[in-house]
Amino acid sequence: MKKALLISLIVLLIAAFSAMYIYTRVYNKPHIDVYEADADYNVSALELIEEFEMDEQQANRRYLDKIVQVNGIIRNIETVNGLSVITLGYDGALAGVICNMDPVENKDVLGLKVGQPLEAKGVCTGYLLDVIIMRAVIIDQT
Amino acid sequence: MRNTYIILLLLLLPLVNYAQERFITRNGFISFYSHTPVEDIQAVNNQVLSIVDLSNGTVAVSLLMKSFQFEKALMQEHFNENYIESDKYPKASFQGTIVNLLDVLAGENGVALVKGDLTIHGITKPITMEGKLDITDLLVKFEGKVMVTVADFEIKIPSIVSRNIAREVEVTCILEHEPYK
Repeated sequence: MKKALLISLIVLLIAAFSAMYIYTRVYNKPHIDVYEADADYNVSALELIEEFEMDEQQANRRYLDKIVQVNGIIRNIETVNGLSVITLGYDGALAGVICNMDPVENKDVLGLKVGQPLEAKGVCTGYLLDVIIMRAVIIDQT
Repeated sequence: MRNTYIILLLLLLPLVNYAQERFITRNGFISFYSHTPVEDIQAVNNQVLSIVDLSNGTVAVSLLMKSFQFEKALMQEHFNENYIESDKYPKASFQGTIVNLLDVLAGENGVALVKGDLTIHGITKPITMEGKLDITDLLVKFEGKVMVTVADFEIKIPSIVSRNIAREVEVTCILEHEPYK
């Protein structure tokens, strides 16, 4: 009787632990941590825009869902619904690279100015009139 | 590809006009909300491209499916990989017209009626949407909601999660257009 109780207790514990594991690691698995993740590609805003302008499908295959580290000159800084949106580009271009910043960067973005260089890293989601990077974080601002 | 041409056309066409008639936003907001007794799911997209031409009332909206952000990473993964197939169909778009633009411009009624074609998952369906439209010299703001039936766009939901995802999802748009320079 005691043994049966012990076995059922162990079975119950294992079940509880695996349920917890599934809940935290599968159902509630965290979003990718862009800070920690290594960049899949390291490019300039100019190169990135040109690749998408030349062959959007090929660029999509290459960059979509990848962590892209991009450097350029800040052309625009905006706040939209509590998120900072920084557009990187270069002189005379119609298109830019829009970096939708991760909320953790809200404070650091305040120190940025239009015209200064910036290197940011985030997840590339595609190209509309501009290349779009989501969950972006600041890597370097000098 | 066709969408790109239409957008390019929209961009180039009114160069002849002097008055500011074209308004654009690259940071438009579109979210969708699915409510079931089991689970509520919401996703937001803050990088919506939208262009309005007040000379003829045309509207062109385009967004990237992968830019939708979910609370749970797993939901976002399922949405992109299994339901929307965003590698195959990376964009959703809307081409339409503000049917009662003259009334809105006359200031009689701030509610716009927008009719047009919505393309999601490679399928195009006509939709009609009502929303608040504020027009000033520096801002054209549209705020509206529409119910979209998931099955209309041939989005397949496995039966195992069918109770978690609503048949109709509520799509909310807040688009604040600025003059296009």
